[in-house]
Amino acid sequence: MKRTFTYKLNIVLFLLPALILFVGILIAPIIMSAYYSFHEFNLVANTDMEYKGLENYRILFSSMLTNPNTGKLYANSMYLGDALGHSLVLAALSTFIQLPLALIIALKLSKGIRGERAYLSIFFMPVLISTVIIGRLWMNIYDPGQAGLLNAGLRALGIDKWLFPAITNSIKSSKLPFTGQWTGFRETALIAAFIPILWQYVGYHMLLMYAGIKGVPADLLEAAQLDGCTEGQVNRFIIIPYIKPILKVCVIFAVTGSLKSFDLIYALMKDTSRAELPSTLMYKLLFLHQRYGLGSAIAVVLIVLCFLFAVLISFAFRDKGAKVA
Amino acid sequence: MKKLVALVLAAVMLLSLTSAFAEAEKPTLTLWCIATESDANRPAYEKAIPAVEEALGIKIEWEAFENDSYKTKIKSTSADELPDIFFTWSGAFAGDFAAAEKIYCLDNEFPNYAADLPEVMLQNSTYGGKHYAVPLTMNIVTLFANMDLLKQVGYDAVPTTYEDLIACCDALVAAGIIPFGCSGNATWCVTEYLEPIIEKTIGYEEMNEIFAGRATWNNPAIAEAVDTFQSMITKGYFDPDGLSLDNDTVKANFIAGKYAFYQNGSWNCGEINDAEGNFQAALFPVMNSEKATYGQVIGGPNDALAVSAASKDPDLAAKAAFALGKEICHYGYLAGSGLPAWTPDYDTSAVKPLVADVAKMVAESEGMVLFGDNAMSADPANVYLSYVAKVYGCEIDGAGFIEALANELQ
Repeated sequence: MKRTFTYKLNIVLFLLPALILFVGILIAPIIMSAYYSFHEFNLVANTDMEYKGLENYRILFSSMLTNPNTGKLYANSMYLGDALGHSLVLAALSTFIQLPLALIIALKLSKGIRGERAYLSIFFMPVLISTVIIGRLWMNIYDPGQAGLLNAGLRALGIDKWLFPAITNSIKSSKLPFTGQWTGFRETALIAAFIPILWQYVGYHMLLMYAGIKGVPADLLEAAQLDGCTEGQVNRFIIIPYIKPILKVCVIFAVTGSLKSFDLIYALMKDTSRAELPSTLMYKLLFLHQRYGLGSAIAVVLIVLCFLFAVLISFAFRDKGAKVA
Repeated sequence: MKKLVALVLAAVMLLSLTSAFAEAEKPTLTLWCIATESDANRPAYEKAIPAVEEALGIKIEWEAFENDSYKTKIKSTSADELPDIFFTWSGAFAGDFAAAEKIYCLDNEFPNYAADLPEVMLQNSTYGGKHYAVPLTMNIVTLFANMDLLKQVGYDAVPTTYEDLIACCDALVAAGIIPFGCSGNATWCVTEYLEPIIEKTIGYEEMNEIFAGRATWNNPAIAEAVDTFQSMITKGYFDPDGLSLDNDTVKANFIAGKYAFYQNGSWNCGEINDAEGNFQAALFPVMNSEKATYGQVIGGPNDALAVSAASKDPDLAAKAAFALGKEICHYGYLAGSGLPAWTPDYDTSAVKPLVADVAKMVAESEGMVLFGDNAMSADPANVYLSYVAKVYGCEIDGAGFIEALANELQ
């Protein structure tokens, strides 16, 4: 009896440091954010916390608010809906463009092509580069002047003559003509911001998938080949089902990463209002507007969404066969 | 020989240790500012800090941060973690710190410097009749003109009437020269154009009242001014690329001769003066002579140093802040990174011509309006900036601008 107690005490003692760190670093800030989201206060002005109930959430989710003085409806500049919509588009692009691309590269590289290691390093390199540097790099690519690689390329090929007027016609947010200002309009800024985000993390997902593919037992692959399977059939019926747990992790990372995406957009365009995401809106509200309650409410929404998507993805990837067995 | 070398080395080590101890005995103050390597004020700080250290027998440990990240840092730093002295903007920005009693009242130290520092220069950092920050330099929105480009379309001087300016812009556009450059990536740059246009339409007194929240944004004259600004954009007076350019690029383009005009803060005087070319400084012309005059300007003593209320030695920090303010102003004025908030007690013959011209405009000014994003506190200032960005992007018109601001801010 005493021995069992000592054994359990040892387990508790060994788990305690990790538990304290987990609660202190992860759980406590979430609880504090949730608490702050029901209040409004100003850290600089040292104002007392004013209980607001669900008011902060109402402001965030209302595209139109009522002016208490005039009773008239007006557009709400703090509206979270558009930013969430942008995040979901980014999540969809990550899942349906970035991940398939990463899978194709991983499948090709894992076949032992010449220069496999070099290609791995090249594809993974953007992950290692600081996001701020990537932001600067893409700023130069998008530069509307002569120095901009993209516009210079389009002009050299004569594509700008029909592409720019076509983009001008499709821009609904502004009356100004598009002359290559990729980060200057809402419609183009969003796409311009998403491309480097997708580009940067292709290598990350590729490496995860590559490691998974390399872990597929050689006898399985040999057996498939002996049975006369083509490369496509091996990929489809052996490799992809085998690395399903890794694909699940990649999808979770891609979707939650899209919801939390901030740094690259901020580095790419200081005024993020043309490609607003929940995290950039949260940053503005917390540190520029000093609306700590509203900012905390966005943090809570993001946590809930990340958790919800992680559960949904896990559910979508659940192993039905194992359940039956 | 080896013994001699060892002895010399030991003596050097002993001396350096002694000097280190001597250094450690000096009171140390910490300073945060925005004078990064690329900041126009950096040379002034680099000269002023050693001078003050020597004069007061203190050590100043200073750190510089990029402008935007500094605003975030300073607002999110708790009172206990603030440095002894820190850079701040006057108006509502420092007002929030004063209201929260996070900064030290400087009234005890001010009389020692009152002879060199006109009281009017402290008006933007005076709250409840008490002085809370030491002004460094002062700045106004200045219309810089490339005279070589203006000459190409027949202008020997910067137009001083609105009609003349429009005629000049039309001539420039016809000659294939872009009249104005403005960064859309930094919204404060757009306010450098929009605020003078509004001020020259409604007058400085009305504008001050609006920024202070005592008058409504719902003013048709403001809508008219915004529409005028947008008509200048749609008529091709502004570089369309400006929407996605940062301010450094726009300024470089102006200096390189891409634009005829560049309207921005007078802190650019030194750099533009030193650039190759023929540049002049002026003010935006009057649009409604019944309300505004040419001599009314946007700006004022805005850059300042504050002393943390949590400083271990606030009196020494206050003394150092005043000494630093005076020296930074001195070197900044000579370098052309700002106009003097302090009365110069040194030889000003070396002041650059463009800086001297703008200093004259300030001396003759008939009224001032502090920059909007400094005059208003954080939340309304950022709501205002978000709509200014929409104006430059032609996403809303004048009526939409005044309606949105009236609804959200009042």
